[in-house]
Amino acid sequence: MKTILDETRELASSTCNRYLDEARKQGRSIIGYFCSYMPEEIIHAAGFVPYRMRVVESKGTTKADAYYSSINCTFVKQCFNKALNGDFAFLDGVVFVNGCDHSRRMYDNWRFSGIDPSFLHMFFAPHVIREVSYEYFARECEKLKLSIENHFKVSITDEALGKSIGLYNKKRRLLAKIYSLRKKKNVPIKASELLGVMLAVTAVPVEQAVEILTEVKNFIEGRVVSRPEDLRLFISGGCIEEIEHLELIENCGSVIVADNICLGTRHFLDEVRTEGDPLTAIADRYLSHLSCPRMMGDFNRRFDYLLAIKDECGIDGAIIEKLKFCDIWGGEIYLHRVEAKKKNIPLLALERELYGGGAGQIKTRVQAFLEKLKNRQAADEGLVQAAGSDYKPKL
Amino acid sequence: MKINPEPFEYLKWSANFLKLGYCLTALPRFAYWGMRLTRPFYVKGENFLNRKIRWSLLTLGGGVLPPEELKAYRYGMKTFIDNIENALKANTSGKPVVWVEWILSSEIVGAFDAMPFNPETLNLFGNMSGQDVPPMLIEEAENRGFATEYCSAIKLTAGAYMLEQSPQPAAIISGSHPCDTNVSAYQSIAHLTGAPVFYFDAPYWRDEDSFNYYEKSMWNLISFLEKNLHQKMNWDKLKQIVDNENKFNFYLHEICEMMRVAPSPATMITPLFAWVVRELAIGDPNGTEMARLMYEVVRDRYKKGIGVAKKENIRVLWWNPPIAFFTYVFKWMEDEFGAVVVKDFIGDVQAPQVDTSSEKTMIHDLARNHLFLAMARQCHGPVEFITQELEKSIEEYSPDCLIFAGHAGCKHGWGAIGIIKDLLKKRGLPSLFMNMDIMDQRHATEDDIKRWITEFFRSNGFV
Repeated sequence: MKTILDETRELASSTCNRYLDEARKQGRSIIGYFCSYMPEEIIHAAGFVPYRMRVVESKGTTKADAYYSSINCTFVKQCFNKALNGDFAFLDGVVFVNGCDHSRRMYDNWRFSGIDPSFLHMFFAPHVIREVSYEYFARECEKLKLSIENHFKVSITDEALGKSIGLYNKKRRLLAKIYSLRKKKNVPIKASELLGVMLAVTAVPVEQAVEILTEVKNFIEGRVVSRPEDLRLFISGGCIEEIEHLELIENCGSVIVADNICLGTRHFLDEVRTEGDPLTAIADRYLSHLSCPRMMGDFNRRFDYLLAIKDECGIDGAIIEKLKFCDIWGGEIYLHRVEAKKKNIPLLALERELYGGGAGQIKTRVQAFLEKLKNRQAADEGLVQAAGSDYKPKL
Repeated sequence: MKINPEPFEYLKWSANFLKLGYCLTALPRFAYWGMRLTRPFYVKGENFLNRKIRWSLLTLGGGVLPPEELKAYRYGMKTFIDNIENALKANTSGKPVVWVEWILSSEIVGAFDAMPFNPETLNLFGNMSGQDVPPMLIEEAENRGFATEYCSAIKLTAGAYMLEQSPQPAAIISGSHPCDTNVSAYQSIAHLTGAPVFYFDAPYWRDEDSFNYYEKSMWNLISFLEKNLHQKMNWDKLKQIVDNENKFNFYLHEICEMMRVAPSPATMITPLFAWVVRELAIGDPNGTEMARLMYEVVRDRYKKGIGVAKKENIRVLWWNPPIAFFTYVFKWMEDEFGAVVVKDFIGDVQAPQVDTSSEKTMIHDLARNHLFLAMARQCHGPVEFITQELEKSIEEYSPDCLIFAGHAGCKHGWGAIGIIKDLLKKRGLPSLFMNMDIMDQRHATEDDIKRWITEFFRSNGFV
């Protein structure tokens, strides 16, 4: 029988889905967006459906290569290639964010190529967290609101924003609950399954997402997917949307129990406060949430999150990933390496291409990492000391 | 090549050689003829005998730059010497060194009793100790885990610090522009040096809201420096610096304007040399004097209708930054083909003047001024900031062709390459796109660049 996780996986494996078709039939516009710094509530309060842009079903980068170069990342090239192929024809607008150099140029290339939709908005997210940036970010939220209102001839009221905030907070709470279940010794949901859930709930109307998440929460209660011998991992990175990639890591003998990824904790951690001016509240939450390394001077907070979650979730090791040519995550890997060594956290840094193959290579590296972790555990348990320095644990 | 250089070895050599240059150019004709007559010794390529002087002599024009311009360069050299020597002495004299990252400007730091130091200095001056020095510094950073995809400019900064070639900063000022490397790498450098960092966040747009945002950050910077340097800012000193800067910018702006005429009275190496002075020590009276002398030379040629090249055959637009290890490329093109670079991405000065009538007006205008500095103005926002400048350059400078120095670290530049190519195609401008790294010869060497340019000029019938 088809379970809710099968359904979310199905939703995750296609660009468009029946919920979006239904929403369109009801006259709701679909607005694509990039980045965890883009407040979905503003789009939703207009009566629209925010849709997180994705690369799934990509057929390559042939067309996008004419706009980009060989040193641009595979996420933006594949995503833009899909746009050029008309795969995002169901969108009524796209909101871009200056998340990184590659993605901010997509705003330019999209406009320049003249493809639909006509509503293309650049949403500026500051790179620093300080008083002036909160003010500026709140104004950017206001500009986005006005831009949607003017283009679509709709009105976004404070009341609607308040309702949207409530709904998205509900979604966040459900996600937080599901994620927190992974802290248990017996993990009820795999990270690969959860990624499918995340991809699904960012591609359907939030009302539907809440229903899906409620079902997922109920479904996984009492479920156990981890094996006692599995090593517990933390994963961090920018663009991770291939379910198969996480399955590969899990199948090597691990269970991923926590993360700091765009389609993960960064998406739901911290709620928008419900009192006061809604746009200010939205700006406050989105600027101060668990940060992406694009936020300058906030590394300590990101690393502290790992330290905090390490004990809470019983993490044995961490994997940090980046896509090729990503400066932002490249720098984060350097900092993680230095600090993880100091704090004695085993760390594996991976570089890869999105849907770029190389599974064998990644598997070898993950296997070697897990083997190292197991040896370390054996050593920690005193086996090596007891048996002498030439002891090789049989695992 | 030394794997473990002595602390500050490259800065010290730079300062010493610059001092020699400063003395020799006191007699500019003598220096000119000296460089001209000894050309066979250093022009062709680097070898054991010339490795520590070749790049410097070529940057000083290699006997192609006329004596009157050398006279101006002399004042530039003085600013370099003072800046480097003060930075080297600062740690012992107790004066705090503040790193001001290359795309920003140091006026505010200059108004403190502190020593502004451009941590990217060795990107250029490292070449004075040999062509292999910058790649060696870059490799050092890569070997210690710095992201290989970073722009080499910042990798070199990190490598130089790791090998004790840069002074310890008391504070660092960095920014989110022009690219992701800046966003990311200075977080790593902060970690490496342990110094407090002030991060400027460049807005995306050029509206009043955005300028005000940057202006507020500038006030935040003052508070940051006052707190970390335990001093109050000297507003009179700032006024002096800004007055000098206004003059400097005026002269440079005029030079760039005069270069619109054919034949061009200057080649882009003149404003570019001035740009380096600006980067290291804006507001230094010697720098302003250099700009004034450069202006007089160019104005004189302009009035007489004389071009910088004996015969101007090709007018070139140079897009993206110049090549640090091959600064001679401009003079080489001029000497070899009569090709004059009349406009580029970096040297062209468009910064607005700063009203020094009050503290408020100074900060207000400095914020706007900084967002119009080279690379800041083109790179912090939509592609129109690049394409509009490019279109304007094509209209105003009547170029025959464009050379695109495609820097390996510049992801957003390469991310707009389709748009740029299309624009050039529509304008019918022959273009050469070079795939290289402006700091790191491991990608493409001086010879590769010469070959590409020669073939480009030949295949387009320019020569």
